[in-house]
Amino acid sequence: MSAEPDVIRKCTWPVCLVGLFVTGILSLDCSLLDVHLRRVTWQNLSLLSRMSKSFPIECLRESKAFELPQEILSHTQPLTRDIKEAFYEMSRQAFHIFIQDTFKSTWEEKHLRQVQIGLDQQLQYLEQCLEEEEEENEDMREMAEDEWTQSGAPVPQLSNLELRRYFNRIDRFLKDKKYSHCAWEIVRVEIRRCFYFFHKFTALLRRK
Amino acid sequence: MDNWKKLPGCQHITSTECNFSSVKLKNVYEKIELRIRAEKGNNASQWHEVKPFIPFQKAQIGPLDVHLEAEDKAIIIHISPPGTKDSIMWAMDHSSFIYSLVIWKNSPSPEERTETVYSRDKIYKLSPETTYCLKVKAELRSPRRVGLYSPVYCINTTEKHKVPAPENIEIDAENQVYVLKWDYAYENTTFRAQWSHEFLKRIPGSHSDKWKQIPNCEDVKTTHCVIPQNVFPEGIHRIRVQASNGNNTSFWSEEKIFNTEMKTILFPPVISMKSVNDDSLHVSIGAPKESENKSVNQLYPLIYEVIFRENTSNAERKVVEKRTDFTFPNLKPLTVYCVKARALTENDKWNKSSVFSDTVCEKTKPGNTSKTWLIAGICTALFSVIVAVYVVKVLLRCINYVFFPSSKPPSTVDEYFSEPPVRNLLLSTSEERTERCSVIENANTLTVIEETNPIDEDHKKYNSQTSQDSGNYSNEDENSGSKISEELLQQETV
Repeated sequence: MSAEPDVIRKCTWPVCLVGLFVTGILSLDCSLLDVHLRRVTWQNLSLLSRMSKSFPIECLRESKAFELPQEILSHTQPLTRDIKEAFYEMSRQAFHIFIQDTFKSTWEEKHLRQVQIGLDQQLQYLEQCLEEEEEENEDMREMAEDEWTQSGAPVPQLSNLELRRYFNRIDRFLKDKKYSHCAWEIVRVEIRRCFYFFHKFTALLRRK
Repeated sequence: MDNWKKLPGCQHITSTECNFSSVKLKNVYEKIELRIRAEKGNNASQWHEVKPFIPFQKAQIGPLDVHLEAEDKAIIIHISPPGTKDSIMWAMDHSSFIYSLVIWKNSPSPEERTETVYSRDKIYKLSPETTYCLKVKAELRSPRRVGLYSPVYCINTTEKHKVPAPENIEIDAENQVYVLKWDYAYENTTFRAQWSHEFLKRIPGSHSDKWKQIPNCEDVKTTHCVIPQNVFPEGIHRIRVQASNGNNTSFWSEEKIFNTEMKTILFPPVISMKSVNDDSLHVSIGAPKESENKSVNQLYPLIYEVIFRENTSNAERKVVEKRTDFTFPNLKPLTVYCVKARALTENDKWNKSSVFSDTVCEKTKPGNTSKTWLIAGICTALFSVIVAVYVVKVLLRCINYVFFPSSKPPSTVDEYFSEPPVRNLLLSTSEERTERCSVIENANTLTVIEETNPIDEDHKKYNSQTSQDSGNYSNEDENSGSKISEELLQQETV
């Protein structure tokens, strides 16, 4: 993960070309959302790598398996909306973790700010497109909401619940370790893994 | 199954409801099972198990805490996110709430406005010295939750401030700098501009200490300032400007959001056109070529404005297309048409357009295309005939090879075996060499003349040597030996 952003930009350019030609006739404004997300997710991933020079070896002892729920995106036919929702949930939770400003000495503020800005950008893109989809599917949404309020159990959003549980484990780990330097390093690596996993799935968005 | 614990707040209840808020849940995303039974004296009913549930999925957004601060033309609003400080239900969502606000003024005419705000935001475009009332409800985007409206809060805006705030802030990217401009009606004023990260808006709490002074925009006397591009990191930021006339300073202006990506220039697309048939032209819009310096991040959705006209006339037809491949139908044959296009961003936050691409002209095909088809048909027929003839030739060759092989030996064998005897040996026909034998029968003078082919004898011997074992071989020798001695004896007697 030592690629410079310029190189990354050059690499995403052919991806854009493909996106432009392949998407053809599309009625959604966010037809290039997958291209945005791919670029921004990869940028954030490389930012996370550059925040720290190397993982401190003494922190290996404390590392923990957070069990990233890989099955959420391995359904045979995930809906585009479900993928976007999962992406949104992941971005939000990652943002939530990185704005806990208890790591004054762990990383350079400049790098931390860039990560926070990058995650915010990711959220803005997703919010814009999810809102537009919502307006289109207004009727469907209302029906779904009615179901929810009546039965008490929502239309299954299991994947988001699994994501929440995963991030909750990370959150509690940080609290239990009292936001130590090692705890932050372990979390940084874990979230980078998570971004890499999601980055692979931007390809699924394009196909839809 | 034996880790059922007593639910605090729900022991020895006489009513049919109980409140178990004091339970210290570690994790609101895990399923909870409850069971309940009735007790009377020493008797107890069976346990009734409540359907398991996940607390987070059943949670509803509680009441909000709202504080207001008034300026002359704006109200600053502070909303505390739902849940108390140590509540864990919304612990992971406190930066995800957005608030829907309804504000109105009672007199003279009630007019309502709905806005979506962050937890700390400002409502602008209000009139001074007026009473405004508002109510707020919290919303969560994912999972979709909507809270109830808070109670109504009212506040009076202050009287008009002596020093008004700057208005109409705009920022543009030019070459390597940003130019920040604003409007101000009065003279003898100095201004200063500050900036802050947009993402801070999501985080509840006051961030008044997070505004940073923009260099080149401190104590400026003009209504604009030039900022080098490296002042802002890549991303989305906010800018605000304040005026001061020596003694007094104004309130802060409206915050202007700006995205550093605005400084990317849209390059014109590459357009190409070709004639499909006699009445339509197919247009392809390609991505622009990379510029010499940085590769352009044109990753916003683009739409194209295409200008189409006949070469000879000036009447232009403007079409806005999202597609990159499309056709203009219903055209005249054998006419030249010209097209050019430019890219536009669909983003209504900032309109950007590229310059027009080069004009490309193309002529439609001639009419009556049946002639072309005829020629094409003839050519295809000729070509297929040639191919058929070749195929038949090859087939014939194969058939000949399989069914009528020639009896000539392959040439390689010919040259290797050039000597006739050996050749004859290997390739001899079915005619065998036989010897003529004549037997003259006479008991006494028995002369057995055996004319044997020397080669055959050798052959025989050779054969016997190889095919039979040594026992036979010695036998044979004795026999031949005795035959020869017999001959000699007989010759002597005669």
